[in-house]
Formats: sequence, structure tokens, C-alpha cells
Amino acid sequence: MWRLMHDALMIPHPEHLSTAGRQLLDRRGFLTQSATALGSIALTRLLAADGMLGSKGPVIDPARPYAPRQPHFPAKAKNVVVIFCAGAVSQLETWDYKPELIKWDNKPLPGGPAVTFQGPSGNLARPQYPFRPRGQTGKWVSDMIPHLAELTDDFAFVHSLTSKSNTHGPAENFLSTGFVLDGFPSLGAWTTYALGSENQDLPSYVSIPDPRGVPQNGANNWGPGFLPAAFQGTTMSSKNPVRHLAAPGVSAQTDQAARSLLQRMNARHLEANPGDGKLAARIASYELAARMQLSVPEINDLSTEPAHILKLYGADDTQNKDKAAFAKNCILARRLIERGVRFVQLFNGAYASGGKLNWDGHSDLKEQYDVHASILDQPAAALIRDLKQRGLLQDTLVVWCTEFGRMPFFQKGAKGRDHNPDGFTCWMTGAGVKSGVSCGETDELGQKAVKDIHPLYDFNATILHLLGLDHERLTFEHNGVQRRLTNVEGHVIREMLA
Amino acid sequence: MPVTHPALRIAALTWLVPACLSAAPVDFVRDVRPILQKHCYECHGEKKQKSGLRLDIKSEALKGGDNHSPDIIPGKAKDSPLIHFIITDDEDELMPPKGKLSAPEIETLTTWIQEGAAWPEGVDLTQLEDRRNHWSFKPLQATAPKPKGEEIDTFIDAKLNEKGLHRSPPADRITWLRRVTFDLTGLPPTPDEVTAFESGIRNRDSGIYAAVVDRLLQSPRYGERWAQHWLDVVRYADTHGFEVNTERPNAWPYRDYVIRAFNDDTPYDRFIKEQIVGDLTQQDAATGFLVTASVLLPGQIGKDEPSKRLARQDSIDEIVVNIGQTFLGLSIGCARCHDHKFDPITAKDYYSMQAFVAGVQYGDRNLQTPEAIAAREEMKQVKFQIAELDKQLARFVPMAKSGVKRIMVSARENRDRFMPVKAKRVRFTIRDTNSLEPCIDELEVFTTAGDNIAHDAAVTASGEKVTTDRHELRFVNDGNYGNSRSWMSSEKGKGWVMLEFKEEHDIERVVWGRDRQGKYTDRLATSYVIETADISGTWQVVADSDDRQRFDTRDRTQPAFSTQGLHKNEVAEAKRLMAQKAPLDDKLQKIGAGQIVFAGTFRTPDDIHLLNRGDPEQPKEPVVPAVLSALGDLKLPKEAAEQDRRKALAEWIASPQNPLTTRVMVNRIWQGHFGTGLVETPSDFGRMGVKPTHPELLDWLATEFIRSGWSVKHMHRLIVLSDTYRRTSFLARSNELENSFDIDSESRFLWRFPTRRLEAETIRDSMLAVSGQLNVKMYGRGYNLFDKRGGLSGFEPVESFTGDGLRRMIYAHKVRREPEAIFGAFDCPDAGQSTAIRRASTTPIQALNLFNSRFTLDASEAFAARVKKEAGNDFTAQVTRAYQIALSRSPTTDELQDTVPTIRDHGLATLCRALFNSNEFLFIP
Repeated sequence: MWRLMHDALMIPHPEHLSTAGRQLLDRRGFLTQSATALGSIALTRLLAADGMLGSKGPVIDPARPYAPRQPHFPAKAKNVVVIFCAGAVSQLETWDYKPELIKWDNKPLPGGPAVTFQGPSGNLARPQYPFRPRGQTGKWVSDMIPHLAELTDDFAFVHSLTSKSNTHGPAENFLSTGFVLDGFPSLGAWTTYALGSENQDLPSYVSIPDPRGVPQNGANNWGPGFLPAAFQGTTMSSKNPVRHLAAPGVSAQTDQAARSLLQRMNARHLEANPGDGKLAARIASYELAARMQLSVPEINDLSTEPAHILKLYGADDTQNKDKAAFAKNCILARRLIERGVRFVQLFNGAYASGGKLNWDGHSDLKEQYDVHASILDQPAAALIRDLKQRGLLQDTLVVWCTEFGRMPFFQKGAKGRDHNPDGFTCWMTGAGVKSGVSCGETDELGQKAVKDIHPLYDFNATILHLLGLDHERLTFEHNGVQRRLTNVEGHVIREMLA
Repeated sequence: MPVTHPALRIAALTWLVPACLSAAPVDFVRDVRPILQKHCYECHGEKKQKSGLRLDIKSEALKGGDNHSPDIIPGKAKDSPLIHFIITDDEDELMPPKGKLSAPEIETLTTWIQEGAAWPEGVDLTQLEDRRNHWSFKPLQATAPKPKGEEIDTFIDAKLNEKGLHRSPPADRITWLRRVTFDLTGLPPTPDEVTAFESGIRNRDSGIYAAVVDRLLQSPRYGERWAQHWLDVVRYADTHGFEVNTERPNAWPYRDYVIRAFNDDTPYDRFIKEQIVGDLTQQDAATGFLVTASVLLPGQIGKDEPSKRLARQDSIDEIVVNIGQTFLGLSIGCARCHDHKFDPITAKDYYSMQAFVAGVQYGDRNLQTPEAIAAREEMKQVKFQIAELDKQLARFVPMAKSGVKRIMVSARENRDRFMPVKAKRVRFTIRDTNSLEPCIDELEVFTTAGDNIAHDAAVTASGEKVTTDRHELRFVNDGNYGNSRSWMSSEKGKGWVMLEFKEEHDIERVVWGRDRQGKYTDRLATSYVIETADISGTWQVVADSDDRQRFDTRDRTQPAFSTQGLHKNEVAEAKRLMAQKAPLDDKLQKIGAGQIVFAGTFRTPDDIHLLNRGDPEQPKEPVVPAVLSALGDLKLPKEAAEQDRRKALAEWIASPQNPLTTRVMVNRIWQGHFGTGLVETPSDFGRMGVKPTHPELLDWLATEFIRSGWSVKHMHRLIVLSDTYRRTSFLARSNELENSFDIDSESRFLWRFPTRRLEAETIRDSMLAVSGQLNVKMYGRGYNLFDKRGGLSGFEPVESFTGDGLRRMIYAHKVRREPEAIFGAFDCPDAGQSTAIRRASTTPIQALNLFNSRFTLDASEAFAARVKKEAGNDFTAQVTRAYQIALSRSPTTDELQDTVPTIRDHGLATLCRALFNSNEFLFIP
């Protein structure tokens, strides 16, 4: 466990400082030595002897919070892209083919629930899109997502996921943080807390909101919870770059003068106050920030992408602006992964809107999904293809997920499906993932998981496992509890592993 | 992985049982225990109890683990989960995980259970340790008297000697002044305060230190600083959290209560009681404490019963968790699903604690002070007067079809006024919408006498798209506004509604809207026609949208009232009415503010049951209110009234006999001064918490706290006037101190003062103070950090602040989970979960925010302007003054020489910007 109260013992490593900073550190000769080696050992021994030492986690250098760190065991995947479809995508219109539903179309479900999340239930309803077998595996996938469907052979599906809530807010929390309540660290925060990042000039964890808006539980999906703020997701998209990259209205010369004056002030102060790692860490953070000011605009500049790439993703689609914007976000995701950013979260679907802006198809599911699928499908498929053709998929895990599924029956008086947390589908592909497998099953109508039921804990445990992390060992002490992404649950879904 | 039907899965085992029955009975000590010892104890023994299962002690083993208890069912081997797990084919479930037991071992265990699982008493090799035997559960320990006024230093010095640590010399005086001023008020000392202190020192005023501390404790800024620490712990916010994150508009009276309580030095025992049961003593705002958590609003909870039960359980859980960690420093919430893993808190204890607060609901409550009661009475009258005026004003809209261009349709409310006409029926036909099927929340028809007669009419429609309890035809004239009480057409872009009255009326106005609560703007009828039919059945058009301005979504300027298109006489009359109304509106806002508080409502308590694995669908036996069994035996009958329950709980917590309450609080105070508590885990005094570095000191402080009448300010005085607090943080070069650094680099034993970075709020507040912009207005509704105060979609940050936006950050409207755009990165809590310790991480994002944001640039300009005003145009004088204001010291000659050229070439604001970003400014020295 990293406690900031301890961070005096984490003197920044000299190689990550400017020449000036290095000289200052060298002048404090006895301190660097004792602090990094003797000091920490002695302190540990002293506190441990008295039972006053908390448990341990990754040791984080405050001057380089994003420095790459070792996983618990050799990792299959170095980076992750999570495609998060907010609003709850129906498993029945996408990946979980239920021919029985065609037979039962427009008939009541005997013994089915009279009332679900939003109100009274109507009759069973057939899948709203045709399905057909795909690829070598012959797995039946819907025509709703023709581009993704072509990649079916590469995916590992899990059809028997369950959530702890049937309400979007808590359920998105549960998917993103392992808890239904607000304020717990997100998967991306846990990952970067554990592993840091390969690129020091970019944020280690980037969240890319849908061009139409932020997802339903907003910032809690990329929040640090009680982990240090260093590990929260930084939001940026092809439309909106990182905030505060440059001082508005300040000339380059004046900006440089302020920076250099600050550097000299801090150097004098550090010299007068030796033995405090926190001060040197802050100096280093300004040097990192200066590098980020250069690298972030570069990553956001898609003008260097050739026409065939824009076309592959659909970023050149002039008819469908939302699709083109999402496609640009997908290209941005690839560029981030290419440069070694550890964790990229790509949202498809915005806030609650009666299903207009996200996958919450209550009223007229087919009509709404026609819109959303046309935004998601080609760009997301292109992202996977592009990562593959560049050889990046060997190190990158791609996860497709949604907070829960939908009911096999329509809502009364409507042509949409209500929330269903008892059986839904997500998938993974890429590094370490076994291609062409389908784990778990729902019942013949697709209402409830019945075979190899996997609470979302298992899905998250599997993601961490692929990153070389044991979900039971990745912990952080908060108010008396060793917290984990998976609470006290979770089993790695072995069938999904290559 | 859950095992649904263990019995089914081990049917194959049955052959084993008869085969073994013929052999001699299995002996636990001889046959069974060696197997358990060899294969199970590693994870289910003394050191670890995975899944809560412990197999080395009889009572625990027979009780079973968290998931499948009991795991051993005597006489029923095939039903016993223990057997299931050792024979299953599922690799993930198989126990032990390293490899299957041998067939004879499996046979032995199976036979043993089948024969009745005989486990003799007294054979266990180890005993269950008494979890109540823990330092923080024991009464405060008396200590030998220490020299008066030097108690803290005596305790600290004793420990330093014991550890071979050497104390650092005292810090210079200005460092102390800066330290104590930041600590107690969250702001730097002003240059005048520095000067006054220096002259006191020069005059050898022996009381100068105490005088400074008194001044700081009497400053209203003190309560604003220390209330923030408290609000961190109770995760206070001004929105409800979760998906919708709606504004919680009446939360702030609780925030103000906390600020006042610290400023008034409200005795801590009273502070506790008021927050739990303040309704008893007219401190209604204080019980805001109970309902600080995120909560799902009714519309977000599923209509199905299990969803409702779960939401209720979650909301009570948050109250219990808050009480447990805030006052007692215990993670009681862990026992919601199973007995606490480490502390002596059973699941039954947990649910018994729930029973104390089982009548608390999240919601607004009227304050019950005499002022508030009088104000509400007055409000009623003012509201009535306003309603009367509104009724009269409602007539003053331009006539439809009069040739005057009328304003475009609004999603909120539209009035169609026409020449009086006799009507038996009114039909509202929609010809187009801005999107989807049209929706109308309310259709009102007014007679010439000004009465709405729609209520009593029979209603029919072209069709309806029903969402039960939200969109139904009957809601179109039910008198309730808003999307959740509205009619939705079954067809896209069209539909009609018709009202038929019992008799013919003279009508002159139709009023309608899409969502008069203003949340929805879609599904709006942008083209429509209103027709009436008299008793003979002849229809005529009285109004339509053709003479309205074209609907344009980009046009957001919707005038509240316009006299455009009115007759001259009407304009005069309307203006007269408006003039009467304006002061009433102001008055209403003024008297309305702060009379309502989001502090919970109270009702007959729910029946609380022990829930299996925390699942509301698996209730077990009912429980009554009772305190944690390890700490007391207070128990109330199930008939106990709601308020009496909370009162009993509050008194138990706020009792001097409660061993946790005072220790937890004095530790929080200590942490507020030194950055780390004597107990490093301030909200965990349980067995997983870290032991105190100075247990005797902690108990002495707690005892002194009680003796002083639970005075928080008394504790501050003791601490900040100690020698320990005055020590330098500077690391002097001496062998002894090098040695101390080697042993205790963090200064947990306080051989030197541990510096720390300012918190987010303190940085912002200090920048405002230094730049001369700080608005010290106290209390009341929070100012905006974002473009809105709550809601579904993204929050755009406010970039430039003026007026109320320059108040201290504790008065910002706190949007839960939404990090403030600049200071959020400085580990500012998001009010999702309790924050007992502020982290102080360092990230490049912080540097970008603090160096480049508009806020910093604005503050730098303001600071520069202030310096010029105070120091004139001389560069040296300017640099000197800027240093004095920001850093409480004058610059050295070197610093002057280094800085002057920069401000000459790039302006004074460049220095100010650098100062705000400097380590010297950002750390408590």
C-alpha cells in the first residue's frame, strides 16, 4: 500500500530530474543514500516491529507516478482498450442468439415477472435483427453489427454475466469499479496504480467520452476513488483535448520566463530544504507537464492519418457525423496505445436520454439501435483490425462491455426491452485471449444466466489476470478495509484465456 | 463461483458411504485432523480464514464459512459443502486448489461426517482468540502526572529517547506563524500579522504565541478550515450522486451548521448528539449528517419490489457506515454480508445498528426553529399573493390570430389566448414536433372567470404510448406538472387530445407545456391547432402555431414575461402588476433560503431482519436496536419510537465511557496538525488498523478532552503551543539528526516537523487571499464551479470567477464525483466515499492546471495589481512586497537580483504566477 505519509522515503530517482535537480540531489549526498536505502529499510523495520506498518503494495516514486511497474506475474497484455457501451446493450440483438424467441414472438412469458425495472411487462419479442453463422466457428451473430460480426472468430464471449443492480448508475459503477456505490477506484485507476505506463509524456489512463456526451455515471467510471488522484482517468477526445495545456493569452517568451523563474525559485528552495522528496517530486512534475504540453497536441492531430485509415474507421463519413466523430475517437485510441498508454477507455453511448443517445432501448429498440449500431460498428471493428495489422493486438487487450442486458419481452405498450441484470454478454479479444470461445449460457429465452454464471467480478478479475495482476493481491487500504476491484469475490474465467 | 445445488452435484458420491460404514468409526484426532492439518489449515486455520472458513477450531468449523455455512452437516455427508468442494470436477471450485485429496482421505472425511462429525471437546490445538481483547476497546488508561503545560512534549520526548531519536531545534518564528496560520485557518498570515508578531517577539512579549493562537481560533476562518476536515469524513456534497446526480439544493444548511459548530467550539459530545438526533433540540440542520451519502431518487429505483428493497437497504447501510467510521473509527459496514473478518462485529451487530436508524429517510425537512416557523407562515402568505398576481398576469399575452407575431413555443409553458368562446369540447391537435412522439404534461383550459376547468373534463386522445406511472393519458389533466406525469402520443410527430366538459363554458385561454419542470425539451409540439366545439357540435379554430415565431432550438432566450403585442391599456395594467410582483419574488427568495434542510425525514422504523449474505431477499430473524455487542449491552425493545432510538444511540456514542469516541476524535485533531495521526488509520481503530505510535499520549489527550468539556479548541491550543509543534522541518547537518533521519525519515515520532503540501481548497483560498480577491462572505447557498448544479450530462467548468465565485472553496456548490477542473487533481475528495486522510499525490496534470489555468492567470493579474498599489512602481519594492504577501518573508539579495529582470521584461504577473506555483508557497513549512 502506498501511503503518502511515507513518501519522504521515496526520493525521486536522479535520472528523472533535470541537470539542476540532479545537482541539488547530489549535493545532499548523505540524504539520497540514506533515504533510498537505509532510511526506508530502517523505517520499515522500526514500524513493523511495533505492528505499525500497513500492508504493502506497489512502491510509487512520487516524482514518476506513471513509471512502469512490474506485474505480479508475467503479463499476457501490456495495454488495454475498453469499449464501454453505456445504456445496456441488448444481448438478444447482438451476440446471444435465441431462436426460441422467434417461436415465442408476441406470446406472454408464462411465469415471467409482472413488473420489471420500468414497469409492467409485455409479450416476448423475437430478436429485432436477423442472425447468421459467422466465420470458422459458425457462431450466430446479428446483422445489426456487420463489421464486428466479421471478427467473431477472434472474440472470446461470456454470455452468462450478472450484475448487482438493474439501475444504470449503480450498474455502471459496478462494471467500472466493482462496487455499486459511488466513490470506488475504477478499473483503469487500479491498473495504472499497479502498472504505471510505458509513456511518461502522456497521461497513463485516458478516457474518451462518446461524441454525444458523457456516459451515465459520468466521472465515476474513470475516477480514482480513494486511490491517489494521479491515477484518475484524464478525459480527452478528438473533439476536446486535455484542459490547461497552454496558458491562454500568454506569449511563448513570457511563458518560458515564468517557467524558468519558477524553476530557479524551486531550486533555491530545495537547496535550503534538503531531505524532502516531495519537493523534488513537484519539480519533476513540472518537467513532465512541459513534455505533455508537446505530446498531447501531437497525439490529437489526426491530419497525419492517411485517407485509407480514415476510410477504414469511417472517419470520413459525411452522412453520419456521430459515427465520424466516434471513428476519430477510435483512431485516437489506437494512437494512444501505439505510444504505450496503459489504459484507454472508449465510450459509446452518452447519458440517460430515453435511449436516444445511448443503448437504453426501452421504447423502440430497433429504431434506436439502428442509430447506435451505425455509430459503433464500423469504427470499433476498424480499431481491432488496425491494432491487428500493426501487430499491436499481440500486446493489447480489447474489451467490449456494457453494464447489463435486456429482457426477452417488450415492455407493456412499447417496442423496447427493459433492464436485465441476470444474464448478459460481453467479450474480449487480443493479447492473451482465446479466440472463438463462448463461455456460459443464458436460458433458452436469454433471460437468465444458467450455465457457468459469472458475476461481473469474474470479468474484471480476468482483465486483471491478463495484465499480470492477481485481483486478490491488488489492494489498497481505505478506512480499515483492504479494498480490491473485486471486493471479496471474483474468479478468473479460465476458458477465456489463450 | 456460487454452488447452486451442492446436493445434486455429489450424487455420484453415494457409493462411498455404504462402503465405509462397515469399518471402525472414524476418530477425529487420529484420522480427520491430520488431513485437515495437512491440506486445509494453510488457508482455513489460525493465520488465514479464506471465505471466512476456519477448520482448526471446533466452534468455528461447525459454524462454517461465509458462503455455504454450515459447511459440515453432521450425518449428511452428501449435503455438506465441504465434501462437495473436495470431490468436485470443477477446477475452479476444487479444494484444496493445489490438487485433489487422495481417495482414502476423501473417504475418511466423508465417513466422519456421515457418522455424525464427532469432534470431541478440548482437543483443539489452538484457542479462538478473544477479538475484544484489543487496545482501542479498553477504557482510557490513566497515566502518571506530567509537568503542567509540557504534557505533550514529555510524552513525545520519552518516545524519542526510547527510539534513539534526536529532536530538531525550534523552527524560526515566522515558519511557526505560517504553519499555525495555515493549520488553523487554511490561509497564509497577512504581512500585517507577520509584522505584529515580529514586534511582539522583539518586545519579549511572553504571551505572544498564545495570543496568536487565540486570534486564529477566534477567526471565523477557523471554522471554515476545520469544517472541511469534517465534511471530508462524512462525504458531504450538494448533489445526490449516482447516474442522475441531481442537485441537492438544501444540503448546505448542514455544511453551515458544521462551520458554526467549530467556530462556536460546540462541545464534541453535543456535536455528536446534534448530528444524530438534532431534531430533539431544534438543531435540525445538524442531522444532515445522517443523509450525506449518494442516494437513488425514487425515479431511478426499479418498479419491482426487490429493487426497492435493495435501494432501501443500501441507503440505511450508508447511514450505519457513516456513524461507524466517523464517530467510532470502525468499519461496521463489513458485517453487512458476513461477520467482520477481524473485528468483533457480527452480522447481527450490524443489523442491530441498522435498527437504530431504520426510520430515517433521505429527504428535505423543515427547520423547526421559531424563526423558520414564522418564515414559513410568511412564505405561505407571500406565495398566495404571488399566485393571485400570476393569475391576473396570465391574461396578458397577445391574442392568437390577432396579427401580432407571438413568441415561439416553449417546452415549459405556452399560453394561447383568444376571444371568449362557448365551449363544450376543446381539441388540441399536434401537427409536428421537434422530435419523436409528442408529449404534453398538462393541458389547462381557463374560463373568463379565470378558473381551470380541465380537471373535471373527460379526456380522449388519438392514442397513447404508455409508460406506467409516467406517461398515461389520465395525467394530461391531473393537475400535476412534469414529464413523469404526462401524456405521450402513440404516433411520431402527431396526435390529438380532446377534453369534454360536463356543460358548456365561456373559455378564453388554453395553457399547455411539454415539461413545466424544465428537464425535457424534446417531444415538443412545434406545430399545433386548438379547436373548440359548442354544444351544437360546431368546431372552430381558436388558436394555432401559425402566428408564432418559427421554432428554433438555438434560441434559448425565453422571456419570462413580455408585453409585446398587447393592447396599450393592457401594457399599463400588466406593468403595474409586474411592479407589485417583483418585490414579492425577492422577498420569497430571501425568507425561503435556509428554512429547509436536506437532513432526513423520520417515520416509523422499518422492521429490520438479519439478512443472509446481505441479501434483502433472504431475511432471517428480526433484530431490535442494539449497540455493538463487544462494546456494550444497550438494547431497545422493538416498540421503541424512532427518535428514542437515535437518542439512545447518540448518548451511547457520546458517553465518556465509550472507549473509541474520544480517542478517534483527538486523533483526527492531531492528524489535522501533523498530517498523520498518532493512529495512522483515523477511521480504523479496529484490529486491522495501525496501532498508535504513542498510546499513552493518545489516552492522555482523550482524557484531557473530556476534562475540558469536550473542547476541540482546547486541544488545538495544547498541540500548537507545544514544543513538538514548534520544531523545524529543516534537516540540519549533524550526525545525530542524520541518524534520526535514517531511523525515522518520515518523522512519525516527530523528531522534526513533517511538512506537507497544502490541500486543494487551501491552495485556491490562499491564492485568492494573496491576490486580494478573497470574498469572505460566509454561509448560504454555494457558488457554481460548473455550468450547472447537478444533472445527467457533462459538467463544463466555470473558468473565470467574480463575486461569490471568489468565496472560500468550502462555499462552492459541491457536485459529487465531479472533480473541480483545476484543484480536483490535488486529491480533492469527490464525496463518493469517506475521506479520512487527504492523499497528496504529485502529477503533471496538477502542474498543467496550476500553471496554465485561467484561474491562476486571473489571480496573478489581481496579485500584481495589488502589489503595484501597495509598493508603487519600483521593481525592487514590488518583488519585496510580493514575497512578503505570498511567502511571509522578504526576498534575499540573490532573489531580488534574479527576479527583477524577469518582471521588467515580462511583467509583475509573471512573478505572481511563479510564486503561486512555487513549492515554498504550496507547502505547510
